[in-house]
Amino acid sequence: MEPYEERRRLAIRLSVLQYLVTVVFSILAVGFWVLQVVQHARLDEMAENSHQRTLALRAPRGIVFDRNGQVLVENRHSYSISIVREHTKDLNRTIQLLAATVGFRESSVREIVDRHRREPVYRPIVIVQNASLAQVAAVTARRLDFELPDVVVEQVPTRRYPAAMAAHLFGYVGEVSDAQVTRDTTLKSGDIVGQAGIESIYNNLLMGDDGARRVVVNSVGREIRTLDEDPPSEGKRLQLTIDYDVQKAVEDGFKWSGFNGAAVILDPRSGEVLAFTSVPAYDPNAFASGIDRAAWASLNADELRPLSDRAIQGRYSPGSTFKMAVASAALEEGIITPDFKVYCPGHATFFGRPFQCWKPGGHGTLDLRQAIEQSCNVYFYTVGNMVGIDKIHKWATLLGLGEKSGIDLPNEVQGIVPSPEWKKARTGEKWYAGETISVAIGQGQVSVTPISMAVYISTIANGGTRVTPHLLKAVDDGNGWKDAPAPPPQSTVELKPETVKAIRDGLFLVVNGRGTGGAARIAGRDVSGKTGTAQVISSEGGRSARGRTDKDLRDNGWFVFLAPRDNPQIAGAVFVEHSGHGGTYAAPIAKYVLETFFAKREGQPLPPPLVPNGQPLPPVAGDDPVSPPVPALTPDAPRAAGTAR
Amino acid sequence: MFERRLYYHIDWALVAAILALCALGVVMIDATTADPTRGNSPFVVTQLYAIVIGLGAMGFMLALDYRTFTDKSHLIYIFLLALLLYVMFLGSSRMGARRWIWVGPFNLQPSEFAKVGVALVLAKFFGENRGTPGWTDLAIAGGLTCVPLALIARQPDLGTAVILVPVLLAVAFLAGMQMRALGVVSLCLVLAAPVVWQFALKDYQKTRIVSFLDPSQDAKDAGYQQIQARITVGSGGLWGKGFKQGTQGQLRFLPVAHNDFIFSVLAEEQGLAGVLVALGLYLFVILRALEAARLAKDRLGSYLVLGVLAGFTFQVVYNITMSAGLAPVKGLTLPLMSYGGSSMIATLAGFGLVLNVRMRRFTN
Repeated sequence: MEPYEERRRLAIRLSVLQYLVTVVFSILAVGFWVLQVVQHARLDEMAENSHQRTLALRAPRGIVFDRNGQVLVENRHSYSISIVREHTKDLNRTIQLLAATVGFRESSVREIVDRHRREPVYRPIVIVQNASLAQVAAVTARRLDFELPDVVVEQVPTRRYPAAMAAHLFGYVGEVSDAQVTRDTTLKSGDIVGQAGIESIYNNLLMGDDGARRVVVNSVGREIRTLDEDPPSEGKRLQLTIDYDVQKAVEDGFKWSGFNGAAVILDPRSGEVLAFTSVPAYDPNAFASGIDRAAWASLNADELRPLSDRAIQGRYSPGSTFKMAVASAALEEGIITPDFKVYCPGHATFFGRPFQCWKPGGHGTLDLRQAIEQSCNVYFYTVGNMVGIDKIHKWATLLGLGEKSGIDLPNEVQGIVPSPEWKKARTGEKWYAGETISVAIGQGQVSVTPISMAVYISTIANGGTRVTPHLLKAVDDGNGWKDAPAPPPQSTVELKPETVKAIRDGLFLVVNGRGTGGAARIAGRDVSGKTGTAQVISSEGGRSARGRTDKDLRDNGWFVFLAPRDNPQIAGAVFVEHSGHGGTYAAPIAKYVLETFFAKREGQPLPPPLVPNGQPLPPVAGDDPVSPPVPALTPDAPRAAGTAR
Repeated sequence: MFERRLYYHIDWALVAAILALCALGVVMIDATTADPTRGNSPFVVTQLYAIVIGLGAMGFMLALDYRTFTDKSHLIYIFLLALLLYVMFLGSSRMGARRWIWVGPFNLQPSEFAKVGVALVLAKFFGENRGTPGWTDLAIAGGLTCVPLALIARQPDLGTAVILVPVLLAVAFLAGMQMRALGVVSLCLVLAAPVVWQFALKDYQKTRIVSFLDPSQDAKDAGYQQIQARITVGSGGLWGKGFKQGTQGQLRFLPVAHNDFIFSVLAEEQGLAGVLVALGLYLFVILRALEAARLAKDRLGSYLVLGVLAGFTFQVVYNITMSAGLAPVKGLTLPLMSYGGSSMIATLAGFGLVLNVRMRRFTN
């Protein structure tokens, strides 16, 4: 081949290479153009997401104070350990390692992860709530070794409730449910919200605004630096009307008695709740850091129903404490005067049926005050029969019975004060006059909540204003305390002064005379009250009696009170389940509460704690429930005593 | 020896473009490895040393007539084979590969120099061969290429080994090898692929190729780097995020960002604008070098330039494609920009030969 030709071929082939290289580089340039311009937005977003992470900063809930500024509910710090799956390479390995590190069973960790598997991967799955310092240290050390890069330890504010006090009042907090998120658009999944009590009803005030921290993380999930931080704002602080010491006295009283029950103590002038309890209670602290399912199940399965708030959800026969409602009706309607007298031979016959007084020999001749003092059944049978069921219903309702109190707590239940309309609507049958007789002494189908009893005695104490019990006294939104307006009374009726005086005199005699409430007597305090003893067998019926022990079948005891007689500053209802006579346990509890209240108000040393003696107190004579249970007038009528619910 | 007038024939434009790319590389190495708490990045310092030494090597390759080197190419070739054998048995090993020899403070990677050695020996072989090369010539040239190729592939360093193939093909092409013969060789290579897949590739190499075909299949391992590379490049946009502002490279979402993925970091921080500048510089360097091949006074010079250039071009194109997540991840550096002393010195020495050919186009 000629050199010329060879040179020419070489030149051609070099040109080919030149074009080839130019084309390849053009393709590369187009490739980069596609990535960096055409797909820029999408890829940029992926880049942002892969290196930025938003961490929620949980806002502490508002602190709750008592009426004197004592802290009731506060916050503490706890640690939670979570898995963030965003950068997880091998979830199984993470689960194994984390379970071994924190000392959990692998299956239980896996179960938690599975439950949250469908949530977005950047949302932490909380594995350990309220982690111990040892767990936190173990996890942190492994994180530093890059062994658990996808596990985060967060410090979260957690509620701290006072031990064994007013659990139902405070309620508890828990993770928001899907239904709640749907109902309230301000909530978002994962929020911790109040699920009961004050925490629930004032959730909007107590819940702060969660903050957020945007951080840059590297490829193994370690935080490099903070981009910006939106600090959380604490929830509003609440002041309750509760008085810590009075509350504690109530709790100690129940502890001393060893019985379950409920108590509501009010300021009868305003409706402020000074103390409120339901026993048995649960420990709200267990909910604060996430209650485990076993504990929740056992609370729900407990026969004593610790989750139910007896004070506003329990309905019980009021027994003799109902007699003041009958007295009010008779006096206000002008049917009797306080001096109206009835002779009690120990029994009486109405509509052809015998009704017993609790005192077999009878009380002899009594006026209204004495009838209240001695809780004479025959007197109130007689008066009740004269007044009639409609007026009894009207006045009992005006005094607050059989109605919701309107307290600022969720899920209050309405009691029952029967009326012909009520019965018609409920059973379709007409009212029998004989039923009025048993209603007159608080038996039959009368069934009321402890809180409505507290309102009832308050209305008598303040002369006719059915105050609305309320717990919120003031709110601090960060700019100082502002008094919360007291809710208006549910209803007001001007009771005649002589009505109020006659009833108060009767109540005074119950405690300070020959009555059944002597256990609540305090020298110089003019404590006035009324015991009540209600049969469980008659009010709950034989159906629920099966399988109960003797103790479960014992009577429920009531004590409603106001003090001092002429200018009542405190009123309340104490209900002690299965404690027998109302004077045995309910009245001493009330006495201890009153002693504490007066001592505190006057700056005196508080009374010494009650000592549980373990032995039953001597029985109090009088005020026994009617026996036998009130039978129905006609054979086809429902048993008045057996169907109340 | 180094006549004064030759100085005027040095292609200063090519030198300037090469130095610009080196500078760009140093800046990007600084961007990816600088530790704000510790001042100068040790990588930058090492790279600057390598550039200085590389320029020295370039000067040395310029100083002597390229025919002096091709005349001695068989000796150089044998010396390099000896080095590769030495590495295979006595070299220092890192991450499961034996590629390095410790020489004082440096660790030398003989495979980088093997590329220049093969270019020299092939230039000489085809340059002294009169007429159109036939099958025998191709077989001999293939043998000359395959010995170092096999030695390098055993290290294992498949990436560097494969670069020798385009060197052979390009020089043979320029030497006038019939297109049919080249076509047959290419076909053989394609047919050999499954055999190589079955017997020669290690598992991690197979994983890389599989994950390239479907990167989303395993977003956290092999395919992870590919997706991350695309995200890194794509998030840079038109103008980039700014020097040291790139988050993907800075936050180690890309492995060995100062090395294999340096172009991704450039794309992220300097955007398409920076990419086009760098691509333009590389294209200029390559075309300018092809110009040197055209101007060479003899075929041997042209072959030598192309031998050096083929490996360089292949490596540049492959690395940039990979940096954009458009090719399987392979441990191939970007010549002139990536961190790496041996590569820098060998590349600059190779361009010394290119400059040499152009400079001496008028000498006899």
